[in-house]
Amino acid sequence: MDAWLQHTLDGLLQAGPYALVGLGLTLGFGTLRRINLAYGASAMLAAYVGAWLHARYHVHPLAVLAVVLAVAVLAGAYVEWLCFPGARGIDRTRSAGTTLGTGTDAREVVALASSFAVWMQLEQLAVALLPHHLNAFPSWASEREWTVLGLGLRPDRLGQLLLALALVLALSRWLQHSRGGLMWRASASQVTAAHLVGVAVPRVQRIAFLATSALAGLAACVVLVVDGQVTPMFGMWMLVKGLVAAMLGGLGSVRGVLGGALVLGLAEAYAQALGGALARDATAWALLMVVLLWRARPGAERRTAHA
Amino acid sequence: MRDIFCTTTTLSGLALDFVIFSLLALSAWLVLRSGRISLGQQAFFGLGAYTAALATAVGGWSLLPALGLGMGVGALAGGLLAALTARLSGLQFAVGTLAFAELVRLGLSAWSWQRPNAQGQLRGPDGVNGFREIRWMQENQVSPEDYLIIAATLLALVLLFWAVVSRTRLGLATRAIGFDEGLAAASAIPVHRLRVTVSAAAGALAALSGGLFAHNLTFLDPAAFDPMLGIHAVGYALIGGMASVAGPLLGAAFDIGLLQATAGLASWRMVVFGGLVALFLRWRPRGLLDEALIDRLAGLWHAWRCPSPRPVFRFLTSLLKG
Repeated sequence: MDAWLQHTLDGLLQAGPYALVGLGLTLGFGTLRRINLAYGASAMLAAYVGAWLHARYHVHPLAVLAVVLAVAVLAGAYVEWLCFPGARGIDRTRSAGTTLGTGTDAREVVALASSFAVWMQLEQLAVALLPHHLNAFPSWASEREWTVLGLGLRPDRLGQLLLALALVLALSRWLQHSRGGLMWRASASQVTAAHLVGVAVPRVQRIAFLATSALAGLAACVVLVVDGQVTPMFGMWMLVKGLVAAMLGGLGSVRGVLGGALVLGLAEAYAQALGGALARDATAWALLMVVLLWRARPGAERRTAHA
Repeated sequence: MRDIFCTTTTLSGLALDFVIFSLLALSAWLVLRSGRISLGQQAFFGLGAYTAALATAVGGWSLLPALGLGMGVGALAGGLLAALTARLSGLQFAVGTLAFAELVRLGLSAWSWQRPNAQGQLRGPDGVNGFREIRWMQENQVSPEDYLIIAATLLALVLLFWAVVSRTRLGLATRAIGFDEGLAAASAIPVHRLRVTVSAAAGALAALSGGLFAHNLTFLDPAAFDPMLGIHAVGYALIGGMASVAGPLLGAAFDIGLLQATAGLASWRMVVFGGLVALFLRWRPRGLLDEALIDRLAGLWHAWRCPSPRPVFRFLTSLLKG
């Protein structure tokens, strides 16, 4: 029984990192209507640059984190320029020239395939920079573990969860109750109408893109300072966990990502206990598949929340 | 494991790689033609490879029936996945195929099922260690050159089959749903049923490619069926061109040529390839051999065949018009 309580606690704590990595994806989809598959790879490249500076020049950990954030934003800008050229501006939002077909979401699908290719590119670039499997990252992992009601609790993991909670609640409050949030939501739901009532949509979209890239960098930092190392699997990890948490919570919903992260964390903790590491990895993909099929079931109401 | 594109340097080995990856690219191209992007063709490649290898290494089958069985499994899996995901939007479908492929890869990594073959040796998949000793070529004294002829014949048959099918109502209807799904549905084309058929055919092609790959390499590592293989399949089709069946072949030849040209810079190859796919998608979304170029080439061919001044003149003016 105690073992299962421990698995439950571990699953709950794991929701912190998952919510953090899901937040950038869900904001990106909520405002810019896109799924950026290079999301994890951009953050991974940034983390690799940080690890390289840390290992080679012994740069101060805080400076490493600042560099990771900056490189994540730069990598994000590159992905934006290459994969999502039609996302900016009013006149280009309707159609961006030739696509695979002329289906309603053909442009998004082409952008998705393009970001898939860039994912592989950025991942290889990072591996070419640091070819080792394990690369040291500045570590702030706690040495000790608290015991609460007979269960082990690591303070650094608790810190991750609390940070995720605070960030989600603050963002969601800002989106709901501020003028900036209103502009943000208006640009997300109806580009033309937002433009007509005087919202500077391209500017809002630029800020949204900067925010999602910076969030990806921040999430990578928060996860990696606890792990103390970065591997070539990090990009894939970040994308998959983030995508599943965001999709479970309703892609585009900021508060939903927290619920999605909790479900994913708990499901993975139990799967690991029952079937080992492979079952844990398969859980995320299986949940993603189930969510997709559930959302597309006959008669399902298509709706996207924004906060 | 990411070096399944660099298994050989001999000319016949390169030609065989070209045939195998052309078949995989054709399977991704077929799905693209029906207006969807599948990021998971590597799943059917893996399923076909495992099935055909099981049939020869454990069942003692001959190569062709084993490849046929692999194609059957690939077609079944492709058809089932398409039927399940028929209602998904293009974006969701792409993510769904990726999820399916990763589930297949993890499933194959967890699968251990070793049985004694006719000689009493244990053969079969062994979890993450993969599937070793697929020795049909060695046991039947088939030389790499003979194997290349078998594979090239199969590719030629597939191309011939497509040449016939593309002229039928089925081929035209596939093209129609790729261009405009709504218009095709309004013209009484059964869009969902056709997509299931196309996905099954694409699954069979990827499985055939996987079966040929397994018997050439003699061992399978489930980690090889990762998203990197999937982006290569889609990338070949997108770089080569969507308009003609020659597109994916051109894409595969281009990448294998690039691989040879940059052998010393192996770790940077994917950086170039990934960037190229993205650049193509941005500036030439229908690839090198797109519809306009195919029309011009057809015009050139026509002008050469009928050397009266008018077609030549028409072709030249069409070039000038851009």
